[in-house]
Amino acid sequence: MSGLDPCRGPAVVDSLSLKSAVATEPHAPKGRRRRTGVNRSRREALTAYVFLAPWFVGLFLITIGPIAASLYLSFTDYSLLDEAKWVGLDNYTTMFEQDPRFWTSLKVTTIYVVVSVPLQLGFALGLALLLDRGLRGLSFYRSIYYLPSLLGGSVAIAILWRKIFGADGLVNSVLGLFGIQGTSYVNNPDTALGTLILLHVWTFGAPMVIFLAGLRQIPRSYYEAAAVDGATTLRQFKTITLPLLTPIIFFNLVLEVIKSFQSFTQSFIVSNGSGGPNDSTLFYTLYLYVNGFKEYEMGYASALAWVLVLIIAGLTGVNFLASKYWVFYGDSK
Amino acid sequence: MRSLKTTALLAAAAMALAACGGGGSGGDASGDKVKLRFSYWGSDSRQKLTEQVIAAFEKKNPTIDVVGEFSDWPSYYESLATKVAANDAPDVMTIEIRGLAEYAGRGALSDLTGKVNTADLDPQVLASGSVDGKQYAIPTGVNVFSMLANKATIEKAGQKLPDDKTWTWDEFVSLSQKITAGGDGSVYGAEYNFNPAYLTIFAAQRGEKFYDNGKIGITPDTLKAWWATFTKLIETKGSPDAAKMGEIAAAGQEQSLIATNKGAFGMWWSNQLGAMAKSSGQELTLLRLPKLPDATNAGMFLQPAMHWTASSKSEHAAEAHKFIDFLINDPEAGGLLLSDRGLPINSKVLEAIKSKLPPADQQTLTFLDSVKSELSPVVVPPKGGSKMEDILKRYSEAVTSGQQSPDEAATKLLEEANAALAG
Repeated sequence: MSGLDPCRGPAVVDSLSLKSAVATEPHAPKGRRRRTGVNRSRREALTAYVFLAPWFVGLFLITIGPIAASLYLSFTDYSLLDEAKWVGLDNYTTMFEQDPRFWTSLKVTTIYVVVSVPLQLGFALGLALLLDRGLRGLSFYRSIYYLPSLLGGSVAIAILWRKIFGADGLVNSVLGLFGIQGTSYVNNPDTALGTLILLHVWTFGAPMVIFLAGLRQIPRSYYEAAAVDGATTLRQFKTITLPLLTPIIFFNLVLEVIKSFQSFTQSFIVSNGSGGPNDSTLFYTLYLYVNGFKEYEMGYASALAWVLVLIIAGLTGVNFLASKYWVFYGDSK
Repeated sequence: MRSLKTTALLAAAAMALAACGGGGSGGDASGDKVKLRFSYWGSDSRQKLTEQVIAAFEKKNPTIDVVGEFSDWPSYYESLATKVAANDAPDVMTIEIRGLAEYAGRGALSDLTGKVNTADLDPQVLASGSVDGKQYAIPTGVNVFSMLANKATIEKAGQKLPDDKTWTWDEFVSLSQKITAGGDGSVYGAEYNFNPAYLTIFAAQRGEKFYDNGKIGITPDTLKAWWATFTKLIETKGSPDAAKMGEIAAAGQEQSLIATNKGAFGMWWSNQLGAMAKSSGQELTLLRLPKLPDATNAGMFLQPAMHWTASSKSEHAAEAHKFIDFLINDPEAGGLLLSDRGLPINSKVLEAIKSKLPPADQQTLTFLDSVKSELSPVVVPPKGGSKMEDILKRYSEAVTSGQQSPDEAATKLLEEANAALAG
């Protein structure tokens, strides 16, 4: 799954190219004196590969190897404790035909993604627009709002969440002031998923920063021209900001859909690893984990992982196809 | 000059690579000592205790170096299963009864029959470590699932400690209700849980076995009657509502109503008495679980706290047997471990350390003696049994929170549980 992580890919490429550039540079001026160009470039390539080697080892041993292994394991019955037995497509047919919890986890995750991603992006865009109005101390606010994104996926915040929405938590203490007696929201099947959605919306900082950068890219002259023509702020937003921002919205959307489909920590900590109460917070990845490590069904868990890969690839594909109809790139017509 | 530089670069890179793959191959500095790996889980205090026992063993066996591999409970099986999968299983492993069939059935454990002296162990409890006639595991000690009662809280609400030889589930519910009603609003009569041990006892009182010939032996009616106790407790406010109860259960033993002095009754394993009494700061009493009016059988049973097992792949089988033998038969080990892993089942060890046990354990021992004649044999869950706790919890939550009707939940629970057993 990590192969799909869009945040990781570019970072690796960056460090690779940086390293090889650094490695080759000192040799360049000396080589000019005696060696031919071909020979020099071969030597440089060799040096580059030497420096690339650690990353290649990592890529093959830690990423591609396990991915390939899990594809094989997804066709086996593998308990971790004894040898994997080939069972063909059994895991996949079981999943679709005989496993109600698979569908529950899919439903829970879909609700989570469909509700929390638009809310989060809407919130992020709204705040980015406010901050973009030239507030004093912008960088301070930006940092403050970005903080939850850094912390949101952490264990500490998930524990904090459990405390806030617990029976004697912060929410109920505040409600208590108004004479309302609340229950434990994280342990009520009707509200548990809601608290997790709220947690996700709260981490609006990352898309907000990207939106802010996008807003800065829009030439001010457009707004000036529009203002001269008498366009209202709302009109300016609808006809200038929004269309020019669509590539950024699209980028954030793709990123957040992928990320939230893979959410794990929040549900794992808030529900104590059970996806409870009554499977109401059973995220797909949590169900995968439970199968692999709690119930010794590593083959089945691998199959679940591959179905997740297909789901996310499919969703991203649909996103890209749909983008043709609403994303506006300045350079195209 | 430059080729020298390249060579140096290559060498540096090679060294860096070697450093990545290093470790492990170094070998033992202690010369020809046998390294024995021993895995267990628990709290920090258990780790300290275990290190003492290991030191005592090494003193008697200078050629063996025991390395404890310790983790907390939630991640224990994850790391153990991964080690077993990687052919890197510890020589001696601690396993609890639900994992036993899984590990034994998949060939991860070695048969200890005749390898470890079991002559002084309680044969009925010892049987719990046997799968298909092979002694794969030796119980570390025993507990019994019982009712903890806080006498002070009960009396403060104007009620009396019940007579546990005769009390029924209905009396338990109505007494809990009265305690909540008679208190100052901060105290509940009872907390409840969905522990499979509780259902096992309840079903036995109706003449049903939890596991019967590889299937679930419990009828839908028993499940519904069991759930009715919870719904009655919630309705009459004898217990907190389902959501709050879920939160308390998730927070762990230290946050339970009994431990925090906010409840009069709670069902727990007997070895938890000491810790619970300590955190509540009050005297707690062990009681028999209530019975059904027409029950022929109390249903309570001795449960092994954990099992010692040896890996089937161990290269140091003889040393592993020696270590397990020391843990269960040596009075010195018994004197250090006391009741940390359940009350000892070795009659000689128990006799030797009896006077050293803390008051709470003495109390448990007295309780165990008094109920001994009413106990049923322990049930070893078959393969797939490790899933029961989760299944039970899920459907019970659905029923107590009103999300599913008891009828529907009972049918689905049995379906899923039987499928889990069928594997």
